[in-house]
Amino acid sequence: MHEVDLAAVRPYADHLDDGLVQMSFTLPVPYSLAARRAALELAGAMGFAEPEVVHYEQLTEGYTYFVMYGRCTQTVDFAALQGEGFDIEYMSEDEIERFARERLGRGVVVVGASTGSDTHSVGIDAMLNLKGYHGHHGLEGYRCFQTYNLGSQVPNSVLLARAIEVGADAILVSQTVTQQNLHVHNLTELVEMVEAEGMRGRMILACGGPRVSNELAKELGYDAGFSKGTEPQHLATFLVRELAARVSAPS
Amino acid sequence: MTLHELTASSRRLAFVGLAKNTGKTEALAALLRELQAAGLRVGVTSVGRDGEQRDVIDPRIEKPRVTLSSGSLLATTDELLRASGIAHELLEDPGVRTPLGRVQIARLLGAGAIEVAGPSAAADVRAVSDAMLAHGAGQVLIDGAIDRRAASSPHVSDALVISTGAVLDRDIDEVVRHTRDAVELVRLPLDEAGGEQLALPPRFALTADGEQIANLLDAHPTAVRLLVAGALPERFLLSLLRPAARRGRELTLIVADPTRVFLASRGPEWFRGHGIHLRARERIGLRAIAVNPLAPRSHRFDSARLRGLLEAAIPAVPVLDVLHADYE
Repeated sequence: MHEVDLAAVRPYADHLDDGLVQMSFTLPVPYSLAARRAALELAGAMGFAEPEVVHYEQLTEGYTYFVMYGRCTQTVDFAALQGEGFDIEYMSEDEIERFARERLGRGVVVVGASTGSDTHSVGIDAMLNLKGYHGHHGLEGYRCFQTYNLGSQVPNSVLLARAIEVGADAILVSQTVTQQNLHVHNLTELVEMVEAEGMRGRMILACGGPRVSNELAKELGYDAGFSKGTEPQHLATFLVRELAARVSAPS
Repeated sequence: MTLHELTASSRRLAFVGLAKNTGKTEALAALLRELQAAGLRVGVTSVGRDGEQRDVIDPRIEKPRVTLSSGSLLATTDELLRASGIAHELLEDPGVRTPLGRVQIARLLGAGAIEVAGPSAAADVRAVSDAMLAHGAGQVLIDGAIDRRAASSPHVSDALVISTGAVLDRDIDEVVRHTRDAVELVRLPLDEAGGEQLALPPRFALTADGEQIANLLDAHPTAVRLLVAGALPERFLLSLLRPAARRGRELTLIVADPTRVFLASRGPEWFRGHGIHLRARERIGLRAIAVNPLAPRSHRFDSARLRGLLEAAIPAVPVLDVLHADYE
């Protein structure tokens, strides 16, 4: 068995470095041999070597669905990417409770909402409510967190006023970011209002949503961004660690 | 006039866009070229992230690179400094954490393109700007992010360059109207009038509804100047319209500076027409409006026409397109 070359990584299917990729897509053309040829040609244009159609079928009249294999000839330098951003090691619920007790010595107040016109509260509910997500209960179920879930379509000003009123350590907002400016504006407006109230140094701001990355969170002015796959203890780990860092080194 | 000539007297210069892709970073990059050609030492920070290759929301949009000369100062994360491959000297760790890593203040020992991601919070932006000035920068450029304005507060920066562009609307007249409203807000007059003054209770402007506002107005029947300590959202101004009009009260709302006011659909002029006047206790020094006539992957206006319309609608501010052949 040979070693993975971390400076030149490519997809793995049957054996190391075979570069084999499975992909699926639909073309808006009628189910036909010509459609199959079009898919092969397209995969070739994408840069896949030895493209192969393993399955294709009519999706509906005038649309054909394909499953294809292709060999990726590109590599990526994983070695150079390691250490970028911040990879944090997540704690378990028990570890989080102990960390909060020993390092903070008090409860952590978290206020969450879906802001503006966004009616999706699934993300915020998964993080905050007892029921939680993926077999892990939300922050409400921890002894060290005191949570306020304000629900959906909450104006930024109302969310902020409530957060100040209950002495929130952190505000958590959920927003479905699209390429439209509106959603992004909702997220930046909250940050700017927290600044205008003079509270930015006293609150951790975290945002979550299907397209939210740490890069986007930085642009928006948040302290962290959480996306698909985030479980409540990931958020909880971030909150208690960040709060501890602020307590020990107030800026 | 060039951006350099227009902004030379400002030690800390903020760049704020009215939306994403209005050309903030292009304006900053143009000024950087001018400063470098003049042999001036500059410091750079960004409240977001600058010099990244692709747009964070729409990866089909390519972004301008930020190229710095040897000796430049900057505030960015340790990872981005390392990734640039440019030799540098670490000067200070201001103790600021961001989602992209820990911020460092560094001096470049070579030239090259680098991603800049400094502190996000206004107080931290001011602190790293002052640190770069203390380490010998003649001027510090603070790039904004998306439509964030906090860095243009007089508590952070000394002057401002606003970016606007075709991305705001497909209708050129709407772009001009929106820009005019935003500039009017930035240039709010100072509070100089007399009359009975009332400090609003904490967070009142964030939450009060029409009834609460009516009760407050009745409790202070002769107050004409309302002091807002923090944020002033448009929701409050809209809720104020009816109770004020019913009582025949013309009111002036006073904020610390224009970054505390949050307008969405209407400008200061519209509220003035309804008897609500906005005033600030501190001004923002607007030096120039930079325009981007191109909306990425959508439409484009004629640069000269857009600039002409903006100049006609907004008196006494130079309007520039730093990428146009007739710039300088």
